Amino acid sequence: MLSKLMKYELKATGRIFLPLFLAALAFALIARLTHAFSAGQQWGTPAVISMVMYISVMVGMFVMTLIMTIQRFYKNLLSEEGYLMFTLPVKPWQHIVSKMLISMFWVVLSIVIAMISIVMIGYRAGDWGRFIGELGPSIQEVSDFLGASIYLYSFEAILGIIFSLASAILILYASIAIGSLFNQHRVLASFAAFIGLNTLTQIITMVITTILGYNYDHNFVINSANFHSMETQIHFFIVFTLIISALITTTYFFITERILSKRLNLE
Amino acid sequence: MTPILECKGLTKKYGSKVALSNFNLTLELGQIVGLLGPNGSGKSTLIKLANELLTPTSGEILIAGKRPGIETKKLISYLPEKTYLNDWMKVHQIIELFQDFYEDFKPEKAYDMLKNLNINPNDRLKTMSKGTKEKVQLILVMSREADLYLLDEPIGGVDPAARDYILKTILSNYNEKATVLISTHLISEIENILDYVVFINQGQVALTSTVDEIRSEKGKSVDALFREVFKC
Repeated sequence: MLSKLMKYELKATGRIFLPLFLAALAFALIARLTHAFSAGQQWGTPAVISMVMYISVMVGMFVMTLIMTIQRFYKNLLSEEGYLMFTLPVKPWQHIVSKMLISMFWVVLSIVIAMISIVMIGYRAGDWGRFIGELGPSIQEVSDFLGASIYLYSFEAILGIIFSLASAILILYASIAIGSLFNQHRVLASFAAFIGLNTLTQIITMVITTILGYNYDHNFVINSANFHSMETQIHFFIVFTLIISALITTTYFFITERILSKRLNLE
Repeated sequence: MTPILECKGLTKKYGSKVALSNFNLTLELGQIVGLLGPNGSGKSTLIKLANELLTPTSGEILIAGKRPGIETKKLISYLPEKTYLNDWMKVHQIIELFQDFYEDFKPEKAYDMLKNLNINPNDRLKTMSKGTKEKVQLILVMSREADLYLLDEPIGGVDPAARDYILKTILSNYNEKATVLISTHLISEIENILDYVVFINQGQVALTSTVDEIRSEKGKSVDALFREVFKC
């Protein structure tokens, strides 16, 4: 059932994102071409216009990931469409997870498209060879320095990215769900809930950090000289941060899930 | 046999406002039931509770002996009073969605009814009139072979010709193994297809009776009895 929900979520959002991605790539190409044709004067009017257009589409693309995350959750689950979604033989957590995963997918894909478009604009003959030529040794250098723990660091980094993305999306869901408990001024209530949740998260994180003594501002100094001797502490610190962000993410998820299961208040 | 719908002391409060209070009702399979009551009497609340769109404040509601959840949602085909269709799908896409999620959905039935009502499966839901949307929703709901149909104001927004077709549709799609619960205040329109009526007032059952009993013992139509019971 989760995969079916994701299929429909992908269809509902893809019809917005795919044209946007195409537009982003198209404007990147136009920017590239106009720049190439106005070779004599560095920044002729067409080049500036096409560059502005490209940047607008880029910004629009990322703003859209935010808007779609909010809009799909609110409109599909908590407005009239909720009457259909919540009478499907599906659990509320599956609705949340399917929407979250698809949202994450579009954020990642937007970043990939942004990178491709930058390469499209800036690429000059021979760049690729130089890039590969320099990348190899750099990776070698980093892995020499870090040794076997490079895998651990990469793993931690990926987990960190997943948790931050998930919690950024879930705090939006939780805020909207809290807002839906009110019969009037739902948008205002959602905003208030967002600010409230954010503040609370900050305070709780600070309290936990202080209690456990990770006041890293003054007793935690890392430089390349003491890096290896500090490695255990570094991992401790990273794992600790990961645990906290996992806890925060779970809390947002739990708030959303409980409200959708027990306090559903459709318009 | 386990009743298809059973409410025991069912109570639902919205804040201090009581929508249903100590509501008791048992419905067996194999009948068309009218849930009749004035506006704000608790009809929609009852239907939403059965669909798990609301949770009871106290008491219990059971569908085929089970509390509302995934298993009961498979048994219930629900027509809400709102139009829940999204604005980006075409009719045939929402049919595919129903087919995907409900095992008892019969697409050929749906396409057949669409044809009878002159609705093009390739039309976008967004461009349809409110009445056409309501027809599409009813088609979706009646194309399932469910045990319990919960129809909240199914004929409220459509023209009289479509009303007749809809009532005919309900009658012809309904089988002996199912129960249809129709909530409405347009009683005279549906009176002829009802087997049983539940009068509901201020969140409580005011009267339950078979339609035959009302006609033979009281010598009245359901409509006349309704006007008598709920006289303002």
